[in-house]
Amino acid sequence: MNTAPKRLPLVHAVVLCAALTCTTAAFASDEVGKKKADAACAACHGPEGNKPITPETPRLAGQHYDYLVQALTAYRKGTRDNAVMSAMAKPLTENEIRELASYFSRQQGLATKR
Amino acid sequence: MRRNDLLAMSTAAFFLLSASAWADGDPAHGRARAQMCEGCHGIADYRTAYPEVYPVPKIGGQQAAYIVKTLQDYRTGARKHPTMRGIAATLSDQEMADLAAYYAGETRK
Repeated sequence: MNTAPKRLPLVHAVVLCAALTCTTAAFASDEVGKKKADAACAACHGPEGNKPITPETPRLAGQHYDYLVQALTAYRKGTRDNAVMSAMAKPLTENEIRELASYFSRQQGLATKR
Repeated sequence: MRRNDLLAMSTAAFFLLSASAWADGDPAHGRARAQMCEGCHGIADYRTAYPEVYPVPKIGGQQAAYIVKTLQDYRTGARKHPTMRGIAATLSDQEMADLAAYYAGETRK
């Protein structure tokens, strides 16, 4: 009996599962970031980090992922100082920092200007 | 007593007003002065190598008052980055306002 036709669908199924897992994981991480951002950041930085409530509050939408990780980490460590942001960043885990940075970096907003 | 209160209140009001009154920035002047910024902030995905490797922030479309405050913090040393501290030290308040007005304005592609 030829087993090839049976094996092929199995391979497809495995690949499909892997692909689905990947996309679901990416979505899940962004969902978590969005939830956290809406709850903790939006009050000052606005929805999607795009409409800050005071002129001195930075826009975050579209900022580089690595820069946001750097900024939040510096606030948490105390190497960058701002009363509000230090308090906000202190309880964050590295994972939460990455989720927030990922979420904000994917929004449309800031640009490189020459 | 009452006169003192009035004096204290008007003094406070004066300082509050003067503190919130930013120098008006001129985007055209800022554009001319932005040459010193472009070497890092004008290149997409440019990364600093010192003191730590990370991408310089995008500042096109950033809030003007935030840019001014950031430059002032670099100038006083409240915010630390060797390159930015050196650059901010050369800028007057007016130049900071001009640069902020330029970068906060419409972003050209």
